Amino acid sequence: MAKKAKFTEQAVELAHLINVQQNPDRNHENQEIRQDLLASRLRSGDRAAASELVDLYYRQIYLYMRRLGHNHHVSEDLTQESFLRAWYHIGQLQNGRALKGWLYRIAGNASRFYWRRHKGKKAISIEGFDVPVSSTADSDKAGDNEQLERLENAIARLPMKMRQAVVLHYLQNLTIVEAAEAAGVRKGTFKSRLSRALKVLREDII
Amino acid sequence: MEEEKLEKLLKELPGRMAEPVRPGLAGDVKRRIPQQLRVHRSRMDTISIMIDLRISRLAAAAVIIITTIFCANFFGLRGSTGGDIVEAIEYSLAGENVGRSEILTNMAVMYEGLLKEGKDVVYYGDSIDPEDKFAVLMHWKLPNDRYRVIFNDLRIMTVSPDVLIMLQAQMHQDRMQK
Repeated sequence: MAKKAKFTEQAVELAHLINVQQNPDRNHENQEIRQDLLASRLRSGDRAAASELVDLYYRQIYLYMRRLGHNHHVSEDLTQESFLRAWYHIGQLQNGRALKGWLYRIAGNASRFYWRRHKGKKAISIEGFDVPVSSTADSDKAGDNEQLERLENAIARLPMKMRQAVVLHYLQNLTIVEAAEAAGVRKGTFKSRLSRALKVLREDII
Repeated sequence: MEEEKLEKLLKELPGRMAEPVRPGLAGDVKRRIPQQLRVHRSRMDTISIMIDLRISRLAAAAVIIITTIFCANFFGLRGSTGGDIVEAIEYSLAGENVGRSEILTNMAVMYEGLLKEGKDVVYYGDSIDPEDKFAVLMHWKLPNDRYRVIFNDLRIMTVSPDVLIMLQAQMHQDRMQK
Protein backbone atom coordinates (compact mmCIF):
# COMPACT_ATOMS: atom_id res chain seq x y z
CA MET A 1 0.00 0.00 0.00
CA ALA A 2 2.83 2.37 0.98
CA LYS A 3 4.71 1.38 -2.18
CA LYS A 4 1.63 2.15 -4.27
CA ALA A 5 1.19 5.54 -2.62
CA LYS A 6 4.87 6.34 -3.26
CA PHE A 7 4.47 5.35 -6.90
CA THR A 8 1.42 7.62 -7.27
CA GLU A 9 3.31 10.45 -5.59
CA GLN A 10 6.21 10.05 -8.03
CA ALA A 11 3.83 9.97 -11.02
CA VAL A 12 2.13 13.14 -9.80
CA GLU A 13 5.45 14.93 -9.28
CA LEU A 14 6.60 13.87 -12.74
CA ALA A 15 3.38 15.13 -14.28
CA HIS A 16 3.89 18.40 -12.41
CA LEU A 17 7.41 18.81 -13.81
CA ILE A 18 6.21 18.13 -17.35
CA ASN A 19 3.36 20.55 -16.78
CA VAL A 20 5.67 23.39 -15.69
CA GLN A 21 8.06 22.81 -18.58
CA GLN A 22 5.46 22.47 -21.31
CA ASN A 23 2.88 25.04 -20.26
CA PRO A 24 4.62 28.15 -18.93
CA ASP A 25 1.78 30.30 -20.33
CA ARG A 26 -0.66 28.50 -18.04
CA ASN A 27 1.21 29.71 -14.97
CA HIS A 28 -0.94 32.82 -14.63
CA GLU A 29 -4.16 30.84 -14.83
CA ASN A 30 -2.77 28.30 -12.37
CA GLN A 31 -1.83 31.11 -10.03
CA GLU A 32 -5.36 32.48 -10.15
CA ILE A 33 -6.91 29.09 -9.41
CA ARG A 34 -4.47 28.62 -6.54
CA GLN A 35 -5.40 32.03 -5.15
CA ASP A 36 -9.08 31.15 -5.43
CA LEU A 37 -8.58 27.91 -3.52
CA LEU A 38 -6.37 29.60 -0.93
CA ALA A 39 -9.08 32.22 -0.42
CA SER A 40 -11.67 29.43 0.05
CA ARG A 41 -9.50 27.79 2.70
CA LEU A 42 -8.97 31.12 4.46
CA ARG A 43 -12.70 31.78 4.45
CA SER A 44 -13.24 28.42 6.11
CA GLY A 45 -10.84 29.38 8.93
CA ASP A 46 -7.91 27.15 7.89
CA ARG A 47 -4.79 28.23 9.87
CA ALA A 48 -2.45 26.44 7.48
CA ALA A 49 -3.85 28.58 4.68
CA ALA A 50 -3.15 31.71 6.74
CA SER A 51 0.44 30.54 7.10
CA GLU A 52 0.69 29.89 3.33
CA LEU A 53 -0.60 33.39 2.66
CA VAL A 54 2.25 34.79 4.77
CA ASP A 55 4.88 32.68 2.98
CA LEU A 56 3.58 33.79 -0.40
CA TYR A 57 3.35 37.50 0.20
CA TYR A 58 5.29 38.76 3.23
CA ARG A 59 8.36 39.76 1.20
CA GLN A 60 6.25 41.56 -1.40
CA ILE A 61 4.20 43.43 1.19
CA TYR A 62 7.29 44.44 3.18
CA LEU A 63 9.01 45.80 0.06
CA TYR A 64 5.79 47.54 -0.97
CA MET A 65 5.82 49.39 2.36
CA ARG A 66 9.50 50.27 1.97
CA ARG A 67 8.90 51.53 -1.57
CA LEU A 68 6.00 53.64 -0.36
CA GLY A 69 8.54 55.39 1.87
CA HIS A 70 8.26 53.74 5.30
CA ASN A 71 11.37 52.87 7.32
CA HIS A 72 12.39 49.31 8.28
CA HIS A 73 10.53 49.15 11.57
CA VAL A 74 7.34 50.76 10.35
CA SER A 75 7.36 48.55 7.25
CA GLU A 76 7.59 45.43 9.39
CA ASP A 77 4.79 46.63 11.67
CA LEU A 78 2.57 47.53 8.73
CA THR A 79 3.27 44.17 7.08
CA GLN A 80 2.05 42.40 10.21
CA GLU A 81 -0.95 44.70 10.44
CA SER A 82 -1.86 44.03 6.81
CA PHE A 83 -1.97 40.27 7.35
CA LEU A 84 -4.00 40.62 10.53
CA ARG A 85 -6.54 42.75 8.68
CA ALA A 86 -6.58 40.29 5.78
CA TRP A 87 -7.38 37.36 8.06
CA TYR A 88 -10.12 39.30 9.78
CA HIS A 89 -11.74 40.60 6.60
CA ILE A 90 -11.26 37.58 4.31
CA GLY A 91 -15.03 37.04 4.35
CA GLN A 92 -15.41 40.28 2.42
CA LEU A 93 -13.33 39.09 -0.51
CA GLN A 94 -15.86 38.38 -3.26
CA ASN A 95 -13.57 37.02 -5.95
CA GLY A 96 -10.88 34.66 -4.63
CA ARG A 97 -8.85 35.07 -7.82
CA ALA A 98 -8.27 38.72 -6.89
CA LEU A 99 -6.62 37.72 -3.59
CA LYS A 100 -3.27 39.30 -4.44
CA GLY A 101 -4.72 42.67 -5.48
CA TRP A 102 -7.01 42.61 -2.45
CA LEU A 103 -4.10 41.98 -0.07
CA TYR A 104 -2.19 44.87 -1.65
CA ARG A 105 -5.25 47.04 -1.19
CA ILE A 106 -5.31 46.25 2.52
CA ALA A 107 -1.59 47.00 2.72
CA GLY A 108 -2.11 50.29 0.87
CA ASN A 109 -4.87 51.26 3.31
CA ALA A 110 -2.66 50.35 6.27
CA SER A 111 0.05 52.62 4.86
CA ARG A 112 -2.45 55.45 4.24
CA PHE A 113 -3.82 55.21 7.80
CA TYR A 114 -0.27 55.31 9.12
CA TRP A 115 0.51 58.55 7.26
CA ARG A 116 -2.79 59.99 8.49
CA ARG A 117 -1.95 59.11 12.10
CA HIS A 118 1.52 60.61 11.77
CA LYS A 119 0.69 63.72 9.77
CA GLY A 120 3.45 65.80 11.32
CA LYS A 121 6.20 63.39 10.29
CA LYS A 122 8.17 63.65 7.09
CA ALA A 123 6.22 61.90 4.36
CA ILE A 124 9.15 60.02 2.91
CA SER A 125 11.64 57.91 4.75
CA ILE A 126 15.23 59.09 4.43
CA GLU A 127 16.36 55.56 5.16
CA GLY A 128 17.86 54.11 1.99
CA PHE A 129 17.62 50.53 0.79
CA ASP A 130 20.20 48.00 1.93
CA VAL A 131 21.13 47.04 -1.61
CA PRO A 132 23.59 44.12 -1.78
CA VAL A 133 27.13 45.24 -2.80
CA SER A 134 27.21 43.08 -5.94
CA SER A 135 24.05 44.61 -7.41
CA THR A 136 25.28 48.16 -6.87
CA ALA A 137 28.50 47.23 -8.63
CA ASP A 138 26.56 45.72 -11.54
CA SER A 139 24.41 48.75 -12.08
CA ASP A 140 27.33 51.12 -11.79
CA LYS A 141 27.56 51.67 -15.56
CA ALA A 142 27.92 54.87 -17.61
CA GLY A 143 25.83 57.25 -15.57
CA ASP A 144 22.86 54.86 -15.32
CA ASN A 145 23.27 54.83 -11.60
CA GLU A 146 22.90 58.58 -11.41
CA GLN A 147 19.78 58.50 -13.58
CA LEU A 148 18.31 55.73 -11.46
CA GLU A 149 18.97 57.76 -8.34
CA ARG A 150 17.26 60.78 -9.88
CA LEU A 151 14.30 58.61 -10.87
CA GLU A 152 14.09 57.16 -7.36
CA ASN A 153 14.01 60.68 -5.89
CA ALA A 154 11.45 61.81 -8.46
CA ILE A 155 9.16 58.90 -7.54
CA ALA A 156 9.50 59.85 -3.87
CA ARG A 157 8.38 63.40 -4.73
CA LEU A 158 5.24 62.25 -6.57
CA PRO A 159 1.85 62.79 -4.90
CA MET A 160 0.84 59.66 -2.96
CA LYS A 161 -1.70 58.26 -5.45
CA MET A 162 0.65 58.61 -8.40
CA ARG A 163 3.55 57.17 -6.45
CA GLN A 164 1.40 54.22 -5.44
CA ALA A 165 0.47 53.61 -9.09
CA VAL A 166 4.13 53.58 -10.20
CA VAL A 167 5.20 51.39 -7.29
CA LEU A 168 2.40 48.86 -7.83
CA HIS A 169 2.89 48.46 -11.56
CA TYR A 170 6.60 48.95 -12.11
CA LEU A 171 8.23 48.02 -8.81
CA GLN A 172 5.86 45.35 -7.49
CA ASN A 173 5.26 44.01 -11.03
CA LEU A 174 1.49 43.82 -10.68
CA THR A 175 -0.58 43.66 -13.86
CA ILE A 176 -2.80 46.66 -14.62
CA VAL A 177 -5.86 44.70 -13.43
CA GLU A 178 -4.19 43.64 -10.16
CA ALA A 179 -2.75 47.10 -9.58
CA ALA A 180 -6.14 48.75 -10.19
CA GLU A 181 -7.70 46.34 -7.68
CA ALA A 182 -4.89 47.16 -5.25
CA ALA A 183 -5.42 50.90 -5.69
CA GLY A 184 -9.19 50.43 -5.34
CA VAL A 185 -10.01 52.12 -8.65
CA ARG A 186 -11.25 51.07 -12.08
CA LYS A 187 -8.76 49.90 -14.71
CA GLY A 188 -9.23 53.07 -16.81
CA THR A 189 -8.73 55.35 -13.82
CA PHE A 190 -5.57 53.50 -12.88
CA LYS A 191 -4.19 53.72 -16.41
CA SER A 192 -4.74 57.46 -16.59
CA ARG A 193 -3.23 57.91 -13.11
CA LEU A 194 -0.19 55.93 -14.20
CA SER A 195 0.23 57.88 -17.43
CA ARG A 196 0.00 61.18 -15.53
CA ALA A 197 2.65 59.92 -13.13
CA LEU A 198 4.94 58.94 -16.02
CA LYS A 199 4.47 62.38 -17.58
CA VAL A 200 5.48 64.04 -14.31
CA LEU A 201 8.50 61.75 -14.01
CA ARG A 202 9.60 62.47 -17.59
CA GLU A 203 9.45 66.20 -16.96
CA ASP A 204 11.10 65.88 -13.56
CA ILE A 205 14.22 64.02 -14.61
CA ILE A 206 15.09 65.72 -17.90
CA MET B 1 13.33 62.25 -21.19
CA GLU B 2 12.25 59.79 -23.86
CA GLU B 3 9.45 57.38 -23.05
CA GLU B 4 11.53 54.29 -23.89
CA LYS B 5 14.43 55.42 -21.73
CA LEU B 6 12.10 56.02 -18.80
CA GLU B 7 10.52 52.56 -19.25
CA LYS B 8 14.01 51.02 -19.31
CA LEU B 9 15.01 52.81 -16.11
CA LEU B 10 11.75 51.84 -14.42
CA LYS B 11 12.42 48.19 -15.24
CA GLU B 12 15.84 48.44 -13.57
CA LEU B 13 14.48 50.16 -10.50
CA PRO B 14 13.00 47.15 -8.61
CA GLY B 15 16.50 45.70 -8.18
CA ARG B 16 17.76 48.98 -6.82
CA MET B 17 14.81 49.64 -4.52
CA ALA B 18 15.01 46.23 -2.85
CA GLU B 19 16.69 44.79 0.18
CA PRO B 20 16.81 41.47 2.00
CA VAL B 21 13.82 40.99 4.27
CA ARG B 22 14.58 40.07 7.88
CA PRO B 23 14.32 36.26 7.98
CA GLY B 24 12.33 36.27 11.23
CA LEU B 25 9.57 38.49 9.83
CA ALA B 26 7.50 35.62 8.41
CA GLY B 27 7.72 33.82 11.77
CA ASP B 28 6.65 36.98 13.62
CA VAL B 29 3.61 37.36 11.37
CA LYS B 30 2.71 33.67 11.67
CA ARG B 31 2.88 33.82 15.46
CA ARG B 32 0.05 36.34 15.30
CA ILE B 33 -2.29 33.98 13.44
CA PRO B 34 -5.16 33.51 15.89
CA GLN B 35 -5.48 29.99 17.36
CA GLN B 36 -8.99 29.81 16.03
CA LEU B 37 -9.14 31.81 12.87
CA ARG B 38 -12.59 33.30 13.18
CA VAL B 39 -13.60 34.89 9.95
CA HIS B 40 -15.80 37.95 9.86
CA ARG B 41 -18.19 36.85 7.15
CA SER B 42 -20.20 39.29 5.13
CA ARG B 43 -22.68 36.71 3.92
CA MET B 44 -26.38 36.85 4.58
CA ASP B 45 -26.69 33.87 6.90
CA THR B 46 -28.25 34.32 10.36
CA ILE B 47 -25.02 34.30 12.37
CA SER B 48 -23.30 36.76 10.02
CA ILE B 49 -26.22 39.16 10.27
CA MET B 50 -26.01 38.96 14.08
CA ILE B 51 -22.26 39.67 13.96
CA ASP B 52 -22.82 42.57 11.57
CA LEU B 53 -25.38 43.99 13.99
CA ARG B 54 -22.60 43.95 16.65
CA ILE B 55 -24.64 41.69 18.98
CA SER B 56 -22.48 39.60 21.30
CA ARG B 57 -21.96 35.94 20.37
CA LEU B 58 -23.77 34.77 23.49
CA ALA B 59 -26.78 36.98 22.79
CA ALA B 60 -26.78 35.88 19.14
CA ALA B 61 -26.70 32.20 20.16
CA ALA B 62 -29.54 32.78 22.65
CA VAL B 63 -31.66 34.50 19.97
CA ILE B 64 -31.07 31.63 17.54
CA ILE B 65 -31.94 28.95 20.14
CA ILE B 66 -35.09 30.76 21.32
CA THR B 67 -36.21 31.34 17.72
CA THR B 68 -35.58 27.70 16.81
CA ILE B 69 -37.56 26.43 19.83
CA PHE B 70 -40.35 28.90 19.14
CA CYS B 71 -40.57 27.82 15.50
CA ALA B 72 -40.49 24.14 16.46
CA ASN B 73 -43.35 24.66 18.91
CA PHE B 74 -45.29 26.76 16.46
CA PHE B 75 -45.07 24.15 13.69
CA GLY B 76 -45.78 21.30 16.12
CA LEU B 77 -42.49 19.44 15.84
CA ARG B 78 -42.02 16.77 18.51
CA GLY B 79 -39.89 17.40 21.62
CA SER B 80 -39.29 21.10 21.36
CA THR B 81 -36.58 20.85 24.01
CA GLY B 82 -35.67 17.30 23.10
CA GLY B 83 -32.87 15.69 21.11
CA ASP B 84 -33.94 16.69 17.60
CA ILE B 85 -33.94 20.40 18.30
CA VAL B 86 -30.69 20.29 20.26
CA GLU B 87 -29.09 18.35 17.43
CA ALA B 88 -30.31 20.88 14.92
CA ILE B 89 -28.90 23.74 16.97
CA GLU B 90 -25.59 21.97 17.49
CA TYR B 91 -25.41 21.33 13.78
CA SER B 92 -26.10 24.97 12.94
CA LEU B 93 -23.43 26.24 15.33
CA ALA B 94 -20.84 23.49 14.87
CA GLY B 95 -17.41 24.49 13.64
CA GLU B 96 -16.20 20.99 12.81
CA ASN B 97 -15.74 20.07 9.17
CA VAL B 98 -16.82 23.54 8.12
CA GLY B 99 -13.53 23.95 6.29
CA ARG B 100 -13.98 20.86 4.19
CA SER B 101 -17.64 21.50 3.46
CA GLU B 102 -16.95 25.08 2.41
CA ILE B 103 -14.18 23.95 0.11
CA LEU B 104 -16.54 21.39 -1.42
CA THR B 105 -19.18 24.09 -1.83
CA ASN B 106 -16.70 26.34 -3.61
CA MET B 107 -15.59 23.44 -5.79
CA ALA B 108 -19.22 22.75 -6.65
CA VAL B 109 -19.63 26.39 -7.73
CA MET B 110 -16.48 26.08 -9.82
CA TYR B 111 -17.85 22.84 -11.32
CA GLU B 112 -21.08 24.58 -12.31
CA GLY B 113 -19.06 27.41 -13.87
CA LEU B 114 -16.91 25.00 -15.91
CA LEU B 115 -20.03 23.14 -17.04
CA LYS B 116 -21.56 26.40 -18.23
CA GLU B 117 -18.36 27.10 -20.18
CA GLY B 118 -18.98 23.79 -21.94
CA LYS B 119 -15.94 22.05 -20.38
CA ASP B 120 -15.81 18.28 -20.15
CA VAL B 121 -15.60 18.28 -16.35
CA VAL B 122 -15.92 15.56 -13.71
CA TYR B 123 -16.35 16.41 -10.01
CA TYR B 124 -16.05 13.68 -7.38
CA GLY B 125 -17.20 15.84 -4.46
CA ASP B 126 -17.51 14.19 -1.06
CA SER B 127 -17.41 10.68 -2.55
CA ILE B 128 -13.63 10.62 -2.11
CA ASP B 129 -11.69 9.87 1.04
CA PRO B 130 -10.86 13.24 2.76
CA GLU B 131 -7.61 11.71 4.10
CA ASP B 132 -6.26 10.68 0.68
CA LYS B 133 -4.34 13.71 -0.56
CA PHE B 134 -3.69 12.15 -3.99
CA ALA B 135 -7.36 11.48 -4.70
CA VAL B 136 -8.72 13.45 -7.63
CA LEU B 137 -11.35 15.97 -6.59
CA MET B 138 -12.10 17.35 -10.03
CA HIS B 139 -10.74 17.14 -13.55
CA TRP B 140 -11.57 18.60 -16.91
CA LYS B 141 -10.32 18.15 -20.43
CA LEU B 142 -8.13 20.76 -22.10
CA PRO B 143 -8.12 21.54 -25.83
CA ASN B 144 -4.74 19.78 -26.21
CA ASP B 145 -6.23 16.44 -25.05
CA ARG B 146 -4.56 16.71 -21.64
CA TYR B 147 -6.43 17.04 -18.35
CA ARG B 148 -6.35 19.71 -15.66
CA VAL B 149 -6.62 17.95 -12.30
CA ILE B 150 -7.37 19.33 -8.84
CA PHE B 151 -6.28 16.92 -6.12
CA ASN B 152 -7.79 16.46 -2.68
CA ASP B 153 -5.00 18.57 -1.13
CA LEU B 154 -5.96 21.30 -3.65
CA ARG B 155 -2.86 20.96 -5.76
CA ILE B 156 -3.52 21.66 -9.43
CA MET B 157 -1.68 20.22 -12.38
CA THR B 158 -2.07 19.22 -15.98
CA VAL B 159 -1.64 15.52 -16.66
CA SER B 160 -1.69 13.24 -19.68
CA PRO B 161 -4.68 10.89 -20.19
CA ASP B 162 -2.46 7.96 -19.13
CA VAL B 163 -1.64 9.53 -15.77
CA LEU B 164 -5.31 10.41 -15.23
CA ILE B 165 -6.33 6.81 -15.94
CA MET B 166 -3.70 5.62 -13.47
CA LEU B 167 -4.95 8.03 -10.79
CA GLN B 168 -8.56 6.96 -11.35
CA ALA B 169 -7.58 3.28 -11.20
CA GLN B 170 -5.77 3.94 -7.92
CA MET B 171 -8.85 5.68 -6.49
CA HIS B 172 -11.07 2.83 -7.64
CA GLN B 173 -8.79 0.20 -6.07
CA ASP B 174 -8.64 2.10 -2.78
CA ARG B 175 -12.43 2.33 -2.73
CA MET B 176 -12.83 -1.40 -3.44
CA GLN B 177 -10.41 -2.26 -0.62
CA LYS B 178 -12.45 -0.25 1.83
